[in-house]
Amino acid sequence: MPAIEVAGLERAFGEVRAVQGIDLEVADGEIYGFLGPNGAGKTTTVRMLTTLLLPTGGRASVAGHDVVDEARQVRASIGVALQEAALDPLMTGRELIRLQATLQGLPPAAGRKRADELLERVGLSYAAERRVGAYSGGMQRRLDLAAALVHEPQVLFLDEPTTGLDPVSRKTIWEEVRALNDGGTTVFLTTQYLEEADQLAENVGIIDSGRIVAEGTPEALKGEVGHPHVELLVGEEAIAAAERACAEVGKVLPRKDGKRVLLEVENGSADIPRVVRALDEAGVAVESLELVRPTLDDVFVAKTGYHLEDEEEKESGGEMAPA
Amino acid sequence: MSDLATTARVVGALGARSIRQTFRRPQLISPIVVFPTLLLAIQTGGAGAGVELPGFPPVQSFLQFMLAGAMMQSMMLAGNSGGIAFAVDIEMGFTDRLFAAPIPRFAIVLGRLAGTAALGLFAAIWFLAIGLIFGAEIEGGVPGALLAMALIAASALAVGGIGAAIALHSGSASVVQGLFPLVLVVLFLSSAFFPQSLMIEPARTIAEYNPLSFIVEGVREPIIAGIDATHTLEAVAAIAGIVVLGLVLSARALRHRLQVG
Amino acid sequence: MEAAANTLATPAWRTNLATILALMARAKNELVRVPGAAIPGVLAPTIFFLGLNGVFGALTQLRGFEIDSYESFIVPVSMLQGAGFTGAAAGVNLARDYEQGWVDRLLVSPAPRWVLLAGNVLAASARAFIPATFVLAIAFALGAQWPGLDGLAVCYLMVAATAAVAACWGSMLALRFKSQSAAPLMQAGMMALVLLTPAYAPLALLQPWLESVASVNPLTEVVEAARQGFVGSVSWSDTWPGIVALAGLLAVFGALALREMRRTNV
Repeated sequence: MPAIEVAGLERAFGEVRAVQGIDLEVADGEIYGFLGPNGAGKTTTVRMLTTLLLPTGGRASVAGHDVVDEARQVRASIGVALQEAALDPLMTGRELIRLQATLQGLPPAAGRKRADELLERVGLSYAAERRVGAYSGGMQRRLDLAAALVHEPQVLFLDEPTTGLDPVSRKTIWEEVRALNDGGTTVFLTTQYLEEADQLAENVGIIDSGRIVAEGTPEALKGEVGHPHVELLVGEEAIAAAERACAEVGKVLPRKDGKRVLLEVENGSADIPRVVRALDEAGVAVESLELVRPTLDDVFVAKTGYHLEDEEEKESGGEMAPA
Repeated sequence: MSDLATTARVVGALGARSIRQTFRRPQLISPIVVFPTLLLAIQTGGAGAGVELPGFPPVQSFLQFMLAGAMMQSMMLAGNSGGIAFAVDIEMGFTDRLFAAPIPRFAIVLGRLAGTAALGLFAAIWFLAIGLIFGAEIEGGVPGALLAMALIAASALAVGGIGAAIALHSGSASVVQGLFPLVLVVLFLSSAFFPQSLMIEPARTIAEYNPLSFIVEGVREPIIAGIDATHTLEAVAAIAGIVVLGLVLSARALRHRLQVG
Repeated sequence: MEAAANTLATPAWRTNLATILALMARAKNELVRVPGAAIPGVLAPTIFFLGLNGVFGALTQLRGFEIDSYESFIVPVSMLQGAGFTGAAAGVNLARDYEQGWVDRLLVSPAPRWVLLAGNVLAASARAFIPATFVLAIAFALGAQWPGLDGLAVCYLMVAATAAVAACWGSMLALRFKSQSAAPLMQAGMMALVLLTPAYAPLALLQPWLESVASVNPLTEVVEAARQGFVGSVSWSDTWPGIVALAGLLAVFGALALREMRRTNV
């Protein structure tokens, strides 16, 4: 039986259709990566699967229980670490884990034991008696993860677990996710970081504007896009000429950062000399040239027409819209 | 254009902004209007038999007596609200924008106070209207009503100065907000809600010397009896005293704020 | 899967009770761990008590007032006001928890919704003893009549239950509006409920419109029940109407709050 089954799942907020009929299946024991920009519908989907939001259409089941009709059984089977860490700054780390244990129905002695185990596991034993308000962002995320594991859930939902963390903290969370999965826990992970999906997920679903636009293993998805591309950095005044020259060699892709010219090349490095000749004949001075193999961002571009990484950079300069 | 005209224009613009801020956010109006109106209804209904006590001034009704107190309460809360809004401007950095502009620094404070005075005027009109709707008569007629409104607006300016001083000094909205209980204390220790001669000690003695009592009596007299020079002058003197205090405190706090940044 | 096995073995009533107690323990953190957090809840009813006593104390001279001590007459009202403020504050805290995502943590657990609500409400009930006792101590210092142990017990029962009603009201609004901006409505609603009663004077001395309102306001029975020991003797016939009124209000506001708790995912 799949750990998560979704059929035609929809969620509308008035006129706005945040999730527009998605289908997906997550096998038992799998790490599933749900990738998309801010506002794509990731968090809305997670909230429906974790019973925090009622779907307005379609069906979903988690750990064999329907999210609408058997909501309580779903909650007993899942662990959740949401986008906002949802911690109480006045509680100590140990108090929070023990409260979570009580909420999950563990008897007091079992809750105390579990708190010790989990705090040790996420490397927070030394800070267990400190108030959560004094924890760093990374510590709060680890505590949130520990709280989600208190009852050994069958399915773990992680909504952007490493957003805002430094690279070291991010790697720590990744290691923990892998260890959990090795122990048999199914993980449903939403992320806007390509590398995170690439590194962790066995299967990836790419969501944009409320629809799943691609689904498969990272390798299969990248293979679909197929071809490597050349990235050129030229002067701003030469961009148009560069694109015209590249169009003679291959397919020009949407620019990256508005500055880098991208050209899909069917034959990989064998096409580089043709590209250089075409640019030379056009009199374009090239500052740098790089051959890049397909990434999940390329998959995203192929399916949506824009870069996920460009969206990240735009959003990091302004307000983040809820997914 | 002369400096005075420029300053007046700046004060007007900032005053208009502070009024717009309040009326665009109903949750800022409710403490100024809803809470005092509720209290007016409850106190009038609950303690209205007090007019039968020996020594109670001759009034048409307890509501007529209470209108001045309700206006005072509303005015004090407007002053507190204005202080909170000013502190929020400081916290958000908006005042830095104003300080960096080529405008007289004190115009920034005056602009905030102009807004507070306008709110006080609104409160006065509101309660006079409530009184008229529910049968209270303004014995001083239109001149009496105008005098009451003018005194309340001036009081709002005065009390607003103290609120602004606290905002400038602390730079924190929660500090100014924490003064809300003090507003109630000062009002209870005045003749806002009951004749001073019928209050219980020590409240009675404190009310006798409380400047707010003089202002309340100045506002009340035109409503329950007609315009009286003595009461009016005493009210004006009390307001002037608070204005001076507010101006001095605001000027010092402004200097302090400009020094510490 | 030891933890999962432990969960299944524990009887539901025990788990629910443990959850309620754990949520109450969390609620007490704000009082114990935030300096001065208890002050606003104590200050407001105290100011009202002292202020109203100083301002309206002469009302006892009116015919129809059967007691000379206005402190004795009004202290139960101030205690109930404190209960109202405390309960409404529980609603504000729930709204804050909602805004900060904490409520999601509770909602995603298998704990029944009524258990989550009960934790918040019972915490408010317990907390209401603090302002009530403070105001009472000041009233005694000013000469209020000793109500007897029975009068005191009835008064505190009314206080605890009123705080629970207020917490249900506040929780309902918090979950409906999902924002702390509903706080004035929470506070004003409870203030109106408590004061639209024979709060300032006996029923017969109220203005006709307030007498009519007070006659149908369930809190009037609560005020009279809480007050009886302070102005005379305690009797069952003056107590049970207050209990019934509070039971009714708890049933209504509790149901409304629970409904909102169940609709958070709509």
